[in-house]
Amino acid sequence: MNIANGLFPIIKGLLFSVIGFLIGSILAKGLTSLTGYPMKEPLITLGYIFALIGWLMGVGMWKTWGKEWFGLKFIVHDNSGGWKRYFRFSTDHKVVGIQYLITLVVIFFLAGLFAVLMRMELISPSENLFSAKEYNTVMSLHGIMMIAVAVATFLGGFANYVVPLMIGAKDVAFPRMNALSYWVVPPVAILLLLTPLFGGFDTGWTAYPPLASKTATGALLFELAFLTFGISSILGGLNFLATIILMRAPGMGWGRVPIFVWGVLAASIIALIGTQWVAFALLMIILERIVGMHFFNPVDGVGGNALLYEHVFWFYSHPAVYIMALPGFGVILEIITTFSKKSLYAYTWVVRAFLGIVGLGFLVWAHHMFTSGMAHWLHLPFMLLTELISIPTGIVFLSALTTLWRSNVVLKTPLLFALSVVFNFSIGGLTGIFLADVATDVQLQDTYFVVAHFHYTMVGGVVFSLFAATYYWFPKISGKMYNETLGRIHAILMLIAFNLTFLTMFAPGMHGMNRRIATYPDTFGDTNFWVSIFGFFMALSFVPFVINIIYSLSKGPKSSNNPWSSTTLEWKTTSPPPIENFETPPSVSGRIYDYSKSEIVKEP
Amino acid sequence: MNKDTIYAFIFWILFSVLLEIIVIVFRDTLYPIQGSEQAIFIDNAFLLLTILAIPIFTLVCVMLVYSIVKFRGNKNALNNNWNDSKTNKGWGWAWLVWSTILCLIVVVHPGYTGIKELHSTMFDNPDLTINVTGQRWQWKYEYLDSEHKETIITLKRKDDVVILPNESLIRFNITAPENDVLHSFWIPAFRMKVDAVPGLITSLDVNTNKIAGFKDDINYRVQCAELCGIGHAPMASKVEVIEKSEFHKWLIEKIDE
Repeated sequence: MNIANGLFPIIKGLLFSVIGFLIGSILAKGLTSLTGYPMKEPLITLGYIFALIGWLMGVGMWKTWGKEWFGLKFIVHDNSGGWKRYFRFSTDHKVVGIQYLITLVVIFFLAGLFAVLMRMELISPSENLFSAKEYNTVMSLHGIMMIAVAVATFLGGFANYVVPLMIGAKDVAFPRMNALSYWVVPPVAILLLLTPLFGGFDTGWTAYPPLASKTATGALLFELAFLTFGISSILGGLNFLATIILMRAPGMGWGRVPIFVWGVLAASIIALIGTQWVAFALLMIILERIVGMHFFNPVDGVGGNALLYEHVFWFYSHPAVYIMALPGFGVILEIITTFSKKSLYAYTWVVRAFLGIVGLGFLVWAHHMFTSGMAHWLHLPFMLLTELISIPTGIVFLSALTTLWRSNVVLKTPLLFALSVVFNFSIGGLTGIFLADVATDVQLQDTYFVVAHFHYTMVGGVVFSLFAATYYWFPKISGKMYNETLGRIHAILMLIAFNLTFLTMFAPGMHGMNRRIATYPDTFGDTNFWVSIFGFFMALSFVPFVINIIYSLSKGPKSSNNPWSSTTLEWKTTSPPPIENFETPPSVSGRIYDYSKSEIVKEP
Repeated sequence: MNKDTIYAFIFWILFSVLLEIIVIVFRDTLYPIQGSEQAIFIDNAFLLLTILAIPIFTLVCVMLVYSIVKFRGNKNALNNNWNDSKTNKGWGWAWLVWSTILCLIVVVHPGYTGIKELHSTMFDNPDLTINVTGQRWQWKYEYLDSEHKETIITLKRKDDVVILPNESLIRFNITAPENDVLHSFWIPAFRMKVDAVPGLITSLDVNTNKIAGFKDDINYRVQCAELCGIGHAPMASKVEVIEKSEFHKWLIEKIDE
């Protein structure tokens, strides 16, 4: 009874979304029969929009927010009820953070399972597990789900939990908008997982038209899911900008803001500004599909241009990699300075570098399009701007290395992951030069070289820093200490397996194997066999992580408030922090990384 | 200069030299058969970028490993050792200037020179022009006459081999039908690739330099490199480069068919 009671908002949300879907699709049916446009896709689209509204209102948005619009009595903050908080429209930033983290861990392991399935198919040159269509669907799902994990785990999960603590605030600036940004995520996951029932979606996560507007209905579901996820990202970005700008503790001037918060701030600027562009591109494809407009499709000379989509899409999707990477850079610098007990080297330069990456990040999109057939005089400026991005990125990693230099390194699990990021990202960054250079890119574009390169940055950079953050803040979030031995085993196994897998993957790319294929010429059989074996090894490296988390949550020793003797504010409160975070609102009186001047909290 | 910096510097030089030697000795394993003049340029660019990237990679490795081994704090280091780093004022500017110079060097060569090279034959009269159409899921080739106007032969079966003359400038004009999707025309042995876009004509110039074909190297193939649906992976045709005189014989035979 208690469980049913706790899950009641979810059940209500599901019920309301079914009702919403019926209303929307009946409305669409009426409209399409008037205009005589005989397709099922308008039904799904309008049905989904109403279902989404129904779902949000059902899970509690109506109670905490919607009623206010009609002058009814509403509840603003309802933080009661133990575990039940996590199953409703809660406005506590720590609850929202954990909701994000749990959801995204599930999506991460699902997408990881898809990666294993892909490698099972690719272990031999011919079709052995999937048809081409099934493979494309699995590949596309792996891509978009991992992108969602990389974008939202930092910005939605960790930033939500940690940023208000780090700046000494009670909550985020817009708590209800924060809850809204989380509750649109489950429908995204559901839509994506439904795509195989609607003919799959075989366009890859980039979903280039005209293919995206011609292929099976699964692609429409993907467009709707991506668009919904975009809303979450925009709201999240806006929220963190307002929070970080307006709600810092007394004394925390811009020069005293922790570097992770700077990373989140920089990423939020991109999330707020950039996501709107991709949302617009997706909307145009949806309109192509449901009402037959031709934005990207040159039909009878009155249609549009397929290259237009690529420009608009990459105008967001290139900066989007910095939405994922910048908070990651922030957290590894945070960890390196903490575990080497040396203040962050060249803090001001790192902040400048972050902002430089934001600015330059918006000016490099067309390096994804050197072989797209765009005008060739655009090649030189985009090559130049792309190469320039190595300057601020170099500053970030040089700061990490200089901070380590002549310090007192304590090799705990978070630091192992952070140092792995520095190593992996050096390979990811340097192989990027080959793709920024027009001549070499003409050969390497759309090959496994690209696949290996972006996995080095996205997995080697972002996913490793996600694990670094997980171990680093685990004691703060759970109040328990993880098992150090299991953590180190996880870190070392994952580093080795990851590098074996993706270092090997460069080879077939350089020798002429294109990407996004289920079958390939026999000559690439050997290397792909080994990539698959190493990939399975990498999947196994997550076993110690899962055991560690489950064991430590139930039986781990209690953690002190500040197990790492860190100086940032989140460690000055209890583990886990109380509602509204601090017993007494903190204030800051010195530079955040001046270890010798700050009071180091002793173990009790 | 302190001892650590000197040791690390020596390790850095040694490790870099070692990797450079390995890369230069085994450079031929980096890339497949070089079937065109463009391939030679692109592979040299690849090698040059690798040579430039190695010292940066080794610097990261040496600093990481040296720090882990040499600067290890004891168990209680988290609680009672701390170290304030004074940021060197020139550090940021030094990196800014140095890395900008490196970037500009790479942008000029092989960057700018590479773009020049890829378009160097743009205004030349090609020896052979082929109009290519990418359709789901096969390629169609129309060989034009010496005036580059009329189609003289058409290859459109999946198992047709694209025969090309050696030591010739060949121009491919590539497109896709209006009701089709994006494809990408790629011949790995020539290192050249450009998308086939509905409603747009893109082009590629290739100078062939070797008599070889599909049976010698898998990279003598036209491969679709832009995801285009279920037939994407097998959307390929075999390519063969033969002697010029034989090519003309083949052309005449084909016209007679």
